[in-house]
Amino acid sequence: MSTPNYGMRNPESELEQMAAIGQLGVAIAHEINSPVGSLLSNNMVLRRCVDELEKLLADPQTESLERAARLLETCRRLTDVDRIACERIQILIRGMKRFSRVDEGAPRLTDINRELRETLSLAACQFQSRIQCDLQLGELPRLPVYPQRLNQVFLNLLVNSAQAIESAGKISVTTEQEGDAVHIRFADNGKGMTPEQKARVFEAGFTTKDPGEGTGLGLSISRRIVEDEHGGSIYFESEAGVGTTFHIRLPLAGAPQDASKQ
Amino acid sequence: MPVNNKEAVNGKDAVNGKTDGTRASILLVDDEQMVVTSIQAFLELDGHFDVFGFTDPPEALRFAQSQRVDVAICDYRMPVLNGLQLLRQIKEAQPEAARILLTSHADARSAIDAINQVGLFQYLEKPWDNEQLLLVIQSGVERSRLLRQLREQVGELDSAYNVIKSAQSRLIRAFL
Repeated sequence: MSTPNYGMRNPESELEQMAAIGQLGVAIAHEINSPVGSLLSNNMVLRRCVDELEKLLADPQTESLERAARLLETCRRLTDVDRIACERIQILIRGMKRFSRVDEGAPRLTDINRELRETLSLAACQFQSRIQCDLQLGELPRLPVYPQRLNQVFLNLLVNSAQAIESAGKISVTTEQEGDAVHIRFADNGKGMTPEQKARVFEAGFTTKDPGEGTGLGLSISRRIVEDEHGGSIYFESEAGVGTTFHIRLPLAGAPQDASKQ
Repeated sequence: MPVNNKEAVNGKDAVNGKTDGTRASILLVDDEQMVVTSIQAFLELDGHFDVFGFTDPPEALRFAQSQRVDVAICDYRMPVLNGLQLLRQIKEAQPEAARILLTSHADARSAIDAINQVGLFQYLEKPWDNEQLLLVIQSGVERSRLLRQLREQVGELDSAYNVIKSAQSRLIRAFL
């Protein structure tokens, strides 16, 4: 197969990914502020509780024991919050690592559902509460793919969906095995596309977004990644005012061994 | 010994009407429970405030429409009602309440909008600093109480003026 080099050194691919990660970086910084704020606040409160408990235990009386019990309850509640805050930060960092990881030269057996879940948790930083995300992940075999490259496609489709939803809306991601392929759907109830937009959507440089929101390269690169690097297919259906669904089909045989190394 | 036997009530109790008229009443709204729990635990530690925490903005608004609020602290990005929309409606219900926006999404535009649209008292960024938060709340409480006193005194002046006016009318009718 005469495949051009679509690996990490491709400048336009790198540019698109940098743009996506740059936007995500801002969203992630915002997202981390709440758990960090909670952790810092809780640390101070826990320290004060411990200091006060020490004094109360030095002079145990009924009244002071009641106060001590309340302080212990506060400590317990805040340590639960701390665990949740740390988990939130951990998920974000794990997600970022997936995008900064340099792909191996050969395809790697990958759990597609897991990649989708983690990419979604990262992308969700950008739309948080205004968009409801519905994941329906069927049972899938592990596929030999380039996970980082596919995550780039998933992120691109999720961000596009989120940007197509002007106020509140819904994104559904579903996976299922269909014969000798895995079928992944990204459906949104955003503004959809006009016939003109549909005709040009995979064209390199075509964008309807504001400057700084997208380079217009995302979908053309996504198509190369899915079709040329993984031997799959990507297509969509869309109706203005109703929404858009993107479909990706990946063969169970996985990516050709040499697709990203030429 | 720093003992405080007064338990601050939570949002549910508040809706049931169990508010303490003497302690400052703080309304805290963030759609993230962890933020509400952390700030509430901090503010309740010394027992100086009644803190009413909500993760649902419309529920918080219903509270503000039915109970006295000295200081309202709201996150910016929340479902159904964002922080600015919520604070604007709280302002209508409780004009004297000091309004504070606590946000991760700090930018000059939203700060200017907040100050212009809802007469914001303070704009704080996450991650917040507890000491700074406490200072802002204390000065917010003071401002809110002064405004209430002022309103009450203006009301008293108004009624005194009306009494004098009606006495004057009676005098005029009696002597002219």
